[in-house]
Amino acid sequence: MKKLAVLFLGPLFLIGCSNEQTIEISGVSADEEKRVEIEDIIRNSEEVYSGTAIMVDKELLVAIQVKPWLGFKERKVEKRLQKEIEEKYPDLKVLVSSDYKMHWETQKLLDEEDDKKLTKEVKKLKDLAKEET
Amino acid sequence: MDPQQYQQIEQQNTPPTPYLKNALKAFLVGGIICAIGQAITYLYIIFFDFTDKTAGNATVATMVFIAMVLTGLGLYRKLGAFAGAGSAVPVTGFGNAVVSAAIEGRTEGWVLGVGSNMFKLAGSVILFGVGSAFFIALIKLILVSMGVVKW
Repeated sequence: MKKLAVLFLGPLFLIGCSNEQTIEISGVSADEEKRVEIEDIIRNSEEVYSGTAIMVDKELLVAIQVKPWLGFKERKVEKRLQKEIEEKYPDLKVLVSSDYKMHWETQKLLDEEDDKKLTKEVKKLKDLAKEET
Repeated sequence: MDPQQYQQIEQQNTPPTPYLKNALKAFLVGGIICAIGQAITYLYIIFFDFTDKTAGNATVATMVFIAMVLTGLGLYRKLGAFAGAGSAVPVTGFGNAVVSAAIEGRTEGWVLGVGSNMFKLAGSVILFGVGSAFFIALIKLILVSMGVVKW
C-alpha cells in the first residue's frame, strides 16, 4: 500500500517542485526585439509559472498562469503586467489575462501559421475575456 | 429514579460519537465533490467558450442537476448518511434539499404539496444568501463612495 502511494504521489510532488518558467512567444509579425523584451517582462514576475504571448498585427494577447499558492495575487499580477507592457508599447492593443481559457487556447495557437486565422482567433479570445455572464 | 441518575445511565450507555472519523469522512467526500466540480469547470473551459469567470455559473447548475437526479434515484441519501456535512455543505446539498422536500410533499398535491414544500429547507438559504449579498454590496458601495476601495 505504501509503495503504491509513493509510486503515485512521488511524481506529483516532484512536478510540484519544479521551478521552471515556460514562456513562449509566437506571432508571424513579431520582430525579435519585441519578442525578447516581452519575454523578459513576463520572466521578471516571479508569481508566473507559465506565460504565452501571441502577437498579430497590432494585437498582443498574453496569457499567464499564476502559481497555485499565489492565486490570490492573480488580478494584481495581471494588472501590473498589463500596465508594464502598455507603457512599453503604446501602439499595441494589449490584453494580459490569467484566465485558464486564454492559456489553453493560446497554447493551441502557438503552432498556427495562417495569419488571418490567428487575427480572428485573437479577436475572438479578447471578446471572450470581456464576457461577464 | 431521579433525573440525574437517569442522565448518568444514559451517558454511560450511549456510544461515543466518532468526531474525528466523521470529520474525516466529511472532508473526503466534500473534497471529492469539489474535485468533480473542478473537473466540470475545466470541461466547460476546454470544450466550450467559457472562461474562468463565466464557467462558475454553468458548473453550479450542472452540480445541482446531478444532485437532483441522484436524490430522485435515492442515492444521495446514502451519500448523506455516510458523509454528513461533506455532502450537505457543497452546492449539491442545496439541490438535494430542494428535491427531497418536493418529493416529500408530492402526496399533498402539486400546489399545496410540491409547490409550498419545495423551498421549505432551501428557502432560508435563498433568503439569507440574497440578504447578506445585499448588505455586503451596500457596505462596498459605501466604501467606494467614500474612496477607500475601488470597484
